[in-house]
Formats: sequence, structure tokens, C-alpha cells
Amino acid sequence: MLSIDNLSKSYHYADVRQDVLSGLDFDMAAGSSIALLGESGSGKSTLLHLIAGLDRPDSGEILFAGHRIHDESESALAEMRRHRLSLVFQQFHLIATLTVLDNIRFQAALCQRFDPDYEGELVARLGLVTQLDKYPYQLSRGQQQRVAIARALLHKPQLVLADEPTGNLDEASSLEVMGLFSDLVKRAGSSLLMVTHSQAMAAFMDRRVNLHNGRLAEIE
Amino acid sequence: MKPPFYWILKALLSHYWRHPWQTLFLSVGLVAGVGLWSAVQIINQHAEASYREAQSLLGAQASYWIRSRRDEGIAQALYIDLRRAGFRQVFPLVELEVSTASGISISIIATDLLALPDDAYSGSDDDQGFADDWLEFVQPPYRAWVPAALADELGLVSGDRLQLRDGRLLPPALIQSQEQQGRRVLLDIGAALALASSDRFSYLVVGSISPHEYKRLASQLPDHLELIENQQHVDLRALTASLHSHLTAMSLLSFAVGLFIVFNAVRFSLWYRRATLLDLRLMGCATHQLFSAILLETLIWSLLGTALGFVLGILLAHALLPGLGASLQSLYAATVEAELGLSAKTVIQAWSITLLGLIWALSWPLYRQLQQSSLEAGSSERMLRDESSARRWLALAALLLALVAGLAYARIASVTQGFVVLGMMLFAAAWLLPILLAAGLRLVAWLVPRKSLTLRWMVSDGWSQLPAFRSAMMALLLALTANLGVGTLVDSFRDAFVGWLEVRQSADIYLRAPRLGFQQLQASPSTASWLADSHHRIGVTTRWRGRPTLVRGIDPRAPDSLVLPLSRWQGESAALARQTWREQPGKVLVNEQVHFLAGVLPGENIELQTDSGPRSFEVVGVFYDYGNPYFQFYLPDQVVASNWNHYYSRGIALWLNKDSDDAMQQAIASLKALGAQPGDWISQAEIRRLSVGIFDRTFAITAAMNGLTMIVAAIALLASLLAILQERLPQFAQWRALGLRQGEQLLLVATPLLIFCAIAWLLSIPLGALLSWILIDKLNVISFGWSMPLVWDFIPALQLAGVVVVICALTLLLVSFQWRRKMPQALAQLGESI
Repeated sequence: MLSIDNLSKSYHYADVRQDVLSGLDFDMAAGSSIALLGESGSGKSTLLHLIAGLDRPDSGEILFAGHRIHDESESALAEMRRHRLSLVFQQFHLIATLTVLDNIRFQAALCQRFDPDYEGELVARLGLVTQLDKYPYQLSRGQQQRVAIARALLHKPQLVLADEPTGNLDEASSLEVMGLFSDLVKRAGSSLLMVTHSQAMAAFMDRRVNLHNGRLAEIE
Repeated sequence: MKPPFYWILKALLSHYWRHPWQTLFLSVGLVAGVGLWSAVQIINQHAEASYREAQSLLGAQASYWIRSRRDEGIAQALYIDLRRAGFRQVFPLVELEVSTASGISISIIATDLLALPDDAYSGSDDDQGFADDWLEFVQPPYRAWVPAALADELGLVSGDRLQLRDGRLLPPALIQSQEQQGRRVLLDIGAALALASSDRFSYLVVGSISPHEYKRLASQLPDHLELIENQQHVDLRALTASLHSHLTAMSLLSFAVGLFIVFNAVRFSLWYRRATLLDLRLMGCATHQLFSAILLETLIWSLLGTALGFVLGILLAHALLPGLGASLQSLYAATVEAELGLSAKTVIQAWSITLLGLIWALSWPLYRQLQQSSLEAGSSERMLRDESSARRWLALAALLLALVAGLAYARIASVTQGFVVLGMMLFAAAWLLPILLAAGLRLVAWLVPRKSLTLRWMVSDGWSQLPAFRSAMMALLLALTANLGVGTLVDSFRDAFVGWLEVRQSADIYLRAPRLGFQQLQASPSTASWLADSHHRIGVTTRWRGRPTLVRGIDPRAPDSLVLPLSRWQGESAALARQTWREQPGKVLVNEQVHFLAGVLPGENIELQTDSGPRSFEVVGVFYDYGNPYFQFYLPDQVVASNWNHYYSRGIALWLNKDSDDAMQQAIASLKALGAQPGDWISQAEIRRLSVGIFDRTFAITAAMNGLTMIVAAIALLASLLAILQERLPQFAQWRALGLRQGEQLLLVATPLLIFCAIAWLLSIPLGALLSWILIDKLNVISFGWSMPLVWDFIPALQLAGVVVVICALTLLLVSFQWRRKMPQALAQLGESI
């Protein structure tokens, strides 16, 4: 489903070149979940952004669901993100001016793939039934992250990319949310690639890989 | 499920529900800009319609007029003879200018309704009120038809009898507007003649007439009457065009100030929605979809702004029209109706400029927002970097614009070109402002003592506030400049006008009494005790270079002609030029309009059509003639009398005996005894009061526009302050948590604000002076054909500084209320994230 071949990416800061990814190879099967570990600044988030088409690689190729991400136009990438991907961030990225219910439905509405039964199930599983008419700022951080998860899964994407999804929560909440998240991703039949620093969170995933010196290594 | 575009639009528009202040400011900017612009457009278009209507005004639709060459009116017998000779298109008119008991001047027009040709009063045929009332109108005790707007102004209700200054009463009022009546009171001719105690008509009007009939009519007129072609409607539009251009330019300036608020509000709305835009892009919204959604949003705003702006525009036009209408009537005898109408063209124009204004305001911030990669779109550091580069680009554009304006200045040939150059200069200054604000901030930071950490912090915080204040300061600069520039123009004009009146109208009394001739007055022994000097004024009306022109005959020994102020002259001095004019018959003095509009210089010859054919006169001087729309030539009275047989009297100027304390009372008693009627004379004090009144009314609209522009600029400031509050609330909360008091926090915002306002104010002073100089030196001369000295006064600038301080204080007060309301929540959220 996702195949990365010889991927390189570098940044330039004040004329100093910094290689973030160098000749990275990676494969991910449909329905699997992978934890992406690594030190701060090792390029984990960069890899996620490249997969999502938010940034362009210097060289190499990313194949996702038969599409060569790096060759696609901006609008084709937007279409791909809308229909096949979901992104979950530490900062939740909820639309502050829409209600919880509107936020949950948003991406499903964009790709016109809306299943009311599944929405009911998600809302119930995530404990948001009584929060639907509220605005994001009226919720706790844990609740906001649950809304972000519901939004990411309602349209049943092929791949969920998560960047420290529980990084803003305390340990107990993190474990609870992560349990729900990984379970719901499996129920949706989606794949999950999650950046994390936490071994405890990584334990929820099928595989764990470490990014070091621009390359990935499997953690046994 | 609704389509994706609905959801994108919903996500973007939901911002306005959750941020009512921004919604309000965007609306205010749009509504104020559109409102001020459309008010003037409505007034201009309405005036245009009124001028067109004036062509059908009672008497004005005439093909020709029959007038007495000596201003003696027309005998009834002649009128009856003409009617008997088959001239059914000829009808009489009486025009009177009277003053009410409360001192308001009103015009009275009277005709014989039964004698009107079919096309002379067409508007009244369908009017049931007219049909019902006309019998009462033509029979004693008669009725005075008073237009509703004038009745309101005079406090008249139906049936009231308006009392005039001399105690006489008009017939009972009937509040009724005939379309062609304008602001004048309409009477039956019998009532008007009784009121004037006269048996002569002012003139006769000739309706449509064939060339053959015209020849027959001309041959039947006695020598002392002249048949004049009516070209009033042509002149009216040309005469008032410049005034309307000035109003349009002022409204565009107001629109520009409004646009700065819109620019501010749009920038803020995009900035606050950067997270939403980022989310939408992360969820797969393509750039073109976001662009389309924002374009649709813009369309919605433009429609709302136009609709609400028009409501404001109509209200403003209603408020401003009576004063302007009165001025147009006083200055140009142009009637402007008080009832307003809306044309589809104005609505479409307003919507178009709103939409274009919004797109202009939106294009750059949106382009920047959508050009940035998804991840840096939300970065505030990026915004600060952009701000610095935007300042440099704006300064570069400003310098280029100023250069183009400077090069174009010498080539200004029309009012429109003048305003374009003026606009370029103002925008150049506005675009230069951000870099000056930054430089000012650096300078103040350098001046602050190193030891004063708090003060240094407060000044340095200005860098964080500068992006938010940039547009608001530009709006403030434009508003201050407009206030100072236009204020200086008006003050200069007022000073010049009042000073000129004192010299030019130096006679104590001006008398125009049909029954009291100059010889009779001079021969009367009753004048000896009060009359120091008297001089007869005569004149001839003609057309010169396509314009109505008056050739005035003045006694060269009259006190006012001895000191007539000249702006240009031939020879060594003005006094010498006047002396030449007095002593040599072939010399002429011309008004500034002849100099500026016809390009005539002292020393050149002009040719005038006299009774004995064209005659050349040498121009020896150019005299100031403020507010006169016509060309005017001054010749010694003997020269006029010897060249034009049919000159007419322009009245008698009387100088009172300064030694007598009650000379004025004696003069009035004496004039009455000699047969003059109240209303036949006017005192110098009265002329000054009326003239200054007309002047103030004319410029009331300018003062109103200036005031409104300042309010708009104040709103821009408030919008910026609230934006800063909202954006930096978590930061302020952190500082509060560190122990900063509310007063100190307010000072933190106020210090840079005051520095920025001071810089904008300082820049507005030279810019205001430049604006007034261009208005006086170029545009006034091109528009009206006369010039005046620029009178610069620093006090209005100081007063404006006071206004700016008050605006800052009020906006800071409002912000402190907001702070008080929002800070607890911000502090609570701060605790959550620690």
C-alpha cells in the first residue's frame, strides 16, 4: 500500500545544509500499524509530511495506493489527502469556529463518504455523545483529541498519519485515548503510521521502526 | 450530505459568527467607505437630474427672454399687446428676493397660470392638487405654494402666512411641490405685483417659437427691450461640474480610508483563520477550492456592504443635501430638489467598487497565505519576516509613485488629472508610513535610557504591534491629511473671502430701486445729512469666449474702485495700474476667471462686441473675484455708456457719513421717503452675513466628510487594538501571571500606539500643507478660475493632535474593558497548559 524508495530530503539553514532523510527505504502493508520512533530532529515529522504530500522530497519516490506522490500536482495531492488519508496531530487542528459535530463530520463531508451508523459508533466509543453541540474551546484537551480522532476515521481512510497524537495529554489519558485510537483504526480497516517518542504508545502498534541518521531500522 | 464546497464555506464563514468584533469592523469599513462614496454619488446624480429638470423649470425652458435693457421691468401694456398680436407662447414672470422676519432669504416666482402655454408647466397637469387649488391660487386672497422642504426650513404649515422682514405677509401657504418650482415660493402674478407694489413684470418668457415668429416678435419689440436666447441649462452643468468633481474626490478619499479598514479587517480575518485554512488543506482542500470559497465570501461581503452602505449613503445624502442645495442655488441659481432617488447605475457602481475594493484588499494577503507551504502558513514568525519585507516593498512603491506624481504635477490640465496626482501623492505617503513608523520606533528606542528596562520593553513591544497597526496608521494618516489639507483650504478661502468682501463691497448700502433713480437721489436734499458719497453702477451682459460675461461700468472715482485689490497688473504697481485704468479709456480690468480660464495676461488686448462693432481693450490688471462663475470686465462707467447704448443699471453704491452715529437709520428713513421699498436695498453687513452664510453652507459638507473620515480612522485603530488583544491574549496572560499590573499592561500597548500616532500626525502636517497647496494652487484655479493666498495655521494641527489623543484614550478604554472580561479565561487556560 505504501512503498518508499531511496528517499532523501535536506534543509538549508543560513547556507548550512542539513540532511534529514538520506536514501530511506520503507514498505507498509494495508491494515498494518507502525510506530515511528526516533530522537528529536531525526526527521520523523518530515517523513510524515512527505508521505502526506505536504512537502516535496529532494530525490527518491513515494508510492501510495498506486500514486507516485512526488509527481502529483497540488490538486491531485489535495484529492488524495481528502479521500485516502487522515492526519492527526498533537495540536488537534480542530476548526475552532465549528461545533464538535461539524468538526467530526468535516472530512467525511469533504469526500462525500458519510456513514451515520459509523458516526454514531465513533461518537459513542469516544464518549462524545454529550459534547456534540459544544465548540472545541469548551472541551478538555483529551476530549479535543477524541474529536480529532473521530474526524480522522469517519471517512474510513486507507492510511492514518499521526504525529504524537497524545503528546498533549497526561499519561492516563494518553493510554486511554491510544487504546481507543488503535482499536478504531483497525475497525475502520485503515493503516496507521504514528510518530511517537513513547515506547508505551509504540506498544499499541504492530511494528516499530526507528529513524536514525536519515534511515529506518526495524525494532524487534 | 451537503456538497464539500458548502462545508468549506461553512468553516470559513463560521469565523465571523465567533468573532463578532471583526465582523463589525469589516462591516463598518465597508459600510463607511461605500456610504460616504455613495452619498456623494447620490447627491451628484441627483443634482444632475435636478439640472436636467431645471430645463423645464418655470421660465427656464424658455427659448428666449424679453428683458429691459435698463433693468426697469416690462410694462403690462406691452405684454397685452404681444398677446393680442398672436404671441400665445409669451407669458410674464415676476421674480422677487425677499427676507423673512427671521432673516432667511427666499425667492418668489410668480406667473399668470392662465397664460401659460401647454408645454410650460406640464408637470402640473396630472396633479390633482394643482387642479383643485389653482382657482384659489389665482383669486384673492391668493395662495402661496411652498415646497415641502422649504416649508420645513421655514417652519410653515398649510394655511400659515409667512411674515416678511418689513412686516408684509405672504398669502396663506399651501404646502405643495410642483416639480419645476424648485425651492421657490410660487405666487399668482397679481399677488406678486401687489407684494412688490409694482405694475411691471420682471421679464417675459418666450416658449417654443418658429424662426419666422421670432423675426416678427423681434421687430415688434421697442428699443429698450432685448430678446435674449436662453442658455441657462448649458451653463448650469458646466458651472457646477467642478464643485461636483471636488465632492467626488472627497468621497473617493473617504472610500480609500474605508478601504484601509477593510484591508485591515480582511488581513486580520485571514490571519486568524490561518489555522482553519491549514486544517482545510491538511484535510485535502485544494488551493483553488479555498480561493473560490474566499471569493464567494468576498462576493457576499460586497453585497452586504453595498446594501448597508447604501442605507448610510442615503441617510448622509439626506442630511447633506439641503445645505448643498441651498449653496448651489445661492452660488449658481441651480435648483436641487430635496427628494432623493436611486438609480440602478449608482447601485451597480457602488457594488462594483466595493467588490473591487475588497478584492484589492484581499488579493495580497490571500496570495501570501495560499502561496506558503501548508506547514509555514500558521507561523507567526513568518508573518513578522513578511512584515519587514512588506515595509521595504511598500516604501519602494511609495517612492516610485511619488516620483510619477512629481513628474505628472507640471502637466496637470484638468480637475480629474489633478485628483489622480493628488491621490498618487497621498497613497505614496501612506505606503511610506510603515517604514517611517519602524524608523521612528528605532529612534525612540535609541533615545530611551538604557537603565529604564520597563520603558525599553514597552517601546520594543512596538515591533510586535506594528503589523497590526500598519493599515490603521495609514488610514489615520489619510484622515489627518485630509482634515488638515481641506481645512486649510477652507480657512484660507474664508480669510481671503471675508477680507476681499470688506474691500470689494466697501459701500455701506447697495440700492436697486426701480422707482428711485440715481439723479433723483443725488438731487434730494434729504440725503445731505447721511450720504458721504454715491456712485451709480451700470452694466451690460454679453457672451465672451462662450461664457456669460458681465461688463460693468464703474465710476473710477468711487472709493472701492480706488483700492480694488489686484492679483496681477501691468506696470510697476497695482496702484499705477488702477490709475492707468482710470485715466485711459482703452484700458480694462478683468477678473481672475478671465486670466486663469481664458489665459489672458496683463498687457494683452481683448476684444469686446460693442454697439459700434468689435473694440479692443488693453488689460491692465486682474482683480480677485471669489466664487463668481462668470467672466467679468471693469470699465469706467463713461466708457460703458459710450460703447453700449442699452446698458442697464446695476444699482447705486452709497457710502454713509462716518460722522453721523445714526446715519444708517437716517438713510433708511430717507430712502423710504424717496419711494424705495424695503428689499430694494441691502447693507454691507447684510451682504457679509449672507455671503459668509452661503460660504459656510457650501463647506458644511466638507466639514461633515472630514468628521466622518476621522471616525472611520478611529474605528480602524480600535479594530487593530482589539486584534492585538485577541492575538496576544495568552502572552499578556503570561505576563500577568508574572506579576504585571493591568495599568502597566495597558501602558505596554499605549506606548507604541502613541509613538505611531505621533509619527502619523507629524507626517500629516507637511502632507496636509502639500494637499492644501495643490488644491489652492492647481485644482482651485483649474476648477473655478480664481486663486487665493494659502493661510497656514498651526492651531488646527494641534487640535487634531488633541482629537487623536482622545481617540487613542477612548479605544484604549474599550480595550481595557475587553481585557477585564477576557483575562480571567486566558489566565485559566494558561494554568491548564503549564
